[in-house]
Amino acid sequence: MTTTLKIPPSTHPYAEIIHRLEAGGSMLPDTEENLMQIIGIYKAYAVPMDFYWRDLLYIAERVFLDPLPFFKYFLPQEYLDLPNHYAGETADFRVWQKGEASAHPELLEFMDKGELKKKLPKLFHHLWHDRINMEFAEACMRAMLWHQGMGGLFYDYLESEEYLGNCDRAIKAYFKGNPLMLGLYKLFPEMFYEKVRELSYYANLGLFWEVMAPVFFEMSDRYDAGEFKTVPDAMDFLVNGIFIAAGRPIYHHVYIGDQCYELIPKSKGFMWLYEAALPYVEAVFYRTAPFRGTKSYNAQAQQVPADQKDFHYGILYADVFPVGTAGIPPTLLMQDMLHFLPPYLVDYYQQYCRGEDDMLIQLGITFQRSMYNVTSAVIQALRTALLYPLDDPNPEHLRKNRQFFEAQMDRFLRPEARLNDIQNQDYR
Amino acid sequence: MLTPLLLIPLLGAIAVAFLKPQISRPLAALSSLASLAWIIYLFTQFNLQSGAIQFSEFHRWVEPVGLNYSLGVDGLSLPLLALNSLLTLIALYTNRNNLERTRLHDGLILLINGGIAGALMSQNLLLFIIFYELELIPFYLLINIWGGEKRGYAATKFLLYTAVSGLLVIVGFLGTTFASQSPSFEFTDLQVQNLDLIPQLVLLTILLIGFGIKTPLVPLHTWMPDTYVEASPATTVLLGGIFAKLGTYGLLRFGLQLFPTAWQTIAPGLAIIGTVSVIYGAISAIAQRDIKRMVAYSSIGHMGYILVAAAAGTELSVLGAIAQMIAHGLILALLFFLVGIVEKTTGTRDLDILNGLMNPIRGLPLTSALLILAGMASAGIPGLIGFAAEFIVFQGSFMAFPIPTLLCILSSGLTAVYFVILINRTCFGKLDNSRAYYARVSFSQQWPALVLTAIIIYFGLQPNALLRWIEPTTTPLVAELHSSIIALRE
Repeated sequence: MTTTLKIPPSTHPYAEIIHRLEAGGSMLPDTEENLMQIIGIYKAYAVPMDFYWRDLLYIAERVFLDPLPFFKYFLPQEYLDLPNHYAGETADFRVWQKGEASAHPELLEFMDKGELKKKLPKLFHHLWHDRINMEFAEACMRAMLWHQGMGGLFYDYLESEEYLGNCDRAIKAYFKGNPLMLGLYKLFPEMFYEKVRELSYYANLGLFWEVMAPVFFEMSDRYDAGEFKTVPDAMDFLVNGIFIAAGRPIYHHVYIGDQCYELIPKSKGFMWLYEAALPYVEAVFYRTAPFRGTKSYNAQAQQVPADQKDFHYGILYADVFPVGTAGIPPTLLMQDMLHFLPPYLVDYYQQYCRGEDDMLIQLGITFQRSMYNVTSAVIQALRTALLYPLDDPNPEHLRKNRQFFEAQMDRFLRPEARLNDIQNQDYR
Repeated sequence: MLTPLLLIPLLGAIAVAFLKPQISRPLAALSSLASLAWIIYLFTQFNLQSGAIQFSEFHRWVEPVGLNYSLGVDGLSLPLLALNSLLTLIALYTNRNNLERTRLHDGLILLINGGIAGALMSQNLLLFIIFYELELIPFYLLINIWGGEKRGYAATKFLLYTAVSGLLVIVGFLGTTFASQSPSFEFTDLQVQNLDLIPQLVLLTILLIGFGIKTPLVPLHTWMPDTYVEASPATTVLLGGIFAKLGTYGLLRFGLQLFPTAWQTIAPGLAIIGTVSVIYGAISAIAQRDIKRMVAYSSIGHMGYILVAAAAGTELSVLGAIAQMIAHGLILALLFFLVGIVEKTTGTRDLDILNGLMNPIRGLPLTSALLILAGMASAGIPGLIGFAAEFIVFQGSFMAFPIPTLLCILSSGLTAVYFVILINRTCFGKLDNSRAYYARVSFSQQWPALVLTAIIIYFGLQPNALLRWIEPTTTPLVAELHSSIIALRE
């Protein structure tokens, strides 16, 4: 029996979507076209994400406090070979059956020859922006750093004496034999601590995406094998993934010479779900920051909310064109995904709007659709964790679920939200 | 040497009407290209030392009536002939996607080309009338068949107004010929100076109203906004670019040149009418929400400059008037061409709906960029032809009519106002998600605009390249005007 038969229908403006969530569905309508689009874009997202997490960890662990980190995006072979903890034969926590532990072959091929399909010195590819754009990943990291108070204990720990003590040891070891930097550290210790806190968020996001990259690859493979038939299938897979990976550790280790400095040890028990996944969704999907772009925001005219928790510049609200306007994803992520689109998605885009000419916009909107599906998975996972099953026989419990869903939907009542748009297949 | 300019389009029109569409279109383009090439050849043969009519052709035709096949060109008509052929070529390539009955469409455009060329070359008043009236029916059909929602109303209004214009011009010509007891309708035979001032004034007034309707001047302009808005972009390019110039051409050729004494008498009144047209056109354009109507009203204002300059009657102002005719023809054609692309692509001309067309991926960036440039040219930004022409008009007119000229200069600032409104609303801002599923505008759809833009920039940087052809004609024309003033004073 469905929820609406046990309790009266919702009168919320998004009642139809709430009823769909209560029936175990997603905010994204269940159509074959939607399923094809979101799986295709998950795959296109997973390839650059495979680079993002490796480079985020490289910066957090190796580049560390390099005052002139010109080459932080030049990922060394060691990190390209770094086995993913959740994929491949050597995984210490193998969640899914498929996927490679080392960097994805498409990623390696792209890094080698780039969009130009020509092997040139790495610096040329870099300066030509013919590369994976880590700027997007760093923007996400900064959003997480900047938006605090999103639950979890991670940020509180970054203010603790224990963390500062760990930082102190690592900073002194890193700048050993460098009196200038050690002198600066002596004079402005807070500046160095703040920089290390930022690096801890590099590690946090890197570890979050280390999980997500193989999840998305796995989803793409399963779709290709015909295992996913509906949008809720894809959402349920994500919900299961969230629960399986929920307890995985979030930590920050720094390697200086042969020594490993544990700034945030695994033993602190920071968990993937509460310290990385949920803050990430809140900071990046919902909030982020008013990006520089063709639309300018005037804070003095109160166009930017005074309270950070009211920010609404994430992908769920983003206007993906004009390119480079407010919100995630900025153009660079769309550019990254463009290189790895599966052929069926390229064919699909060529049928609509301006075909190849505005594929960036079309895939941006597909990405928006796919992230509504990911957000649906998070909402369903939270409901599972904190409330009651969807088929609970107790109407009171169903009312609690209803209140939860309605509260989530309230966040999309503001006119910038794209929830209404994605209900329509013609929104491209 | 001038007959090919009639034969090529007229034979082309007939051939296009009967051939298969696959052949007719290239043939139509070839006809207009051949005309243009022939005019370029004429430019190379044109004697810049002479202000007289050149390449004259004369054949007796219907002798009892005084109708002769008499053609000739000078510095006033030759640049307009070039503009005519260029805009015909542009019109043939304007918004052809899904165009129905292309053979008829192209045939009518070629017919108009021939008609206008004939009017510009005619040295016999009756022959002028024939060509002057010849293009009315093709225009009527173009508006009525390929026009917008209210095309029937606009076409009928156009026909009524321009027919009255033609009627008045006929009356004026007959009156002039009979009153002056000229032996024929040949332009060179007319001896109007022998007439008293009063009959001269009456005849000139009749011609002024006749050509004023065609130009159009306020308050004879009411056919124009409806017609320009309802006509298809190709038709509007021709209407605004060259057809309306027949009005100002007539004013200069048959008003100023035939009636210099009477012209001088009514010149202050003409300057006031011109100034009113300029101010009225600019203020009306600011008030519009429809971008095509805005451009249409801007045209009224810019034609007013020509009248003020012609009224001033100085060497520089008459030179500026003719330069402004060419400049305005090019700029207006570009504006209407681009507005046509915007309308075709977005499905609207509403300023309140259009926005963000400069968007590089989903917008119309090249069209928008050219629209901005056309707006700048129309507003008289230095470096573009609009500036050169308007500057000469203002400089030449100031000594004769300082207050009207100052008012015109102020109104040219209003041109910038409405073009900033137009550009700001349509090209800038954020592209609206819910509407921005526009088809891409291909290069082949835009090359005519690029050609017009290149000419606008070239003449803007090198105005002498245009003025050198006009000056030999304006110098004796103004000298004659001044000698008549001296005679009047004596």
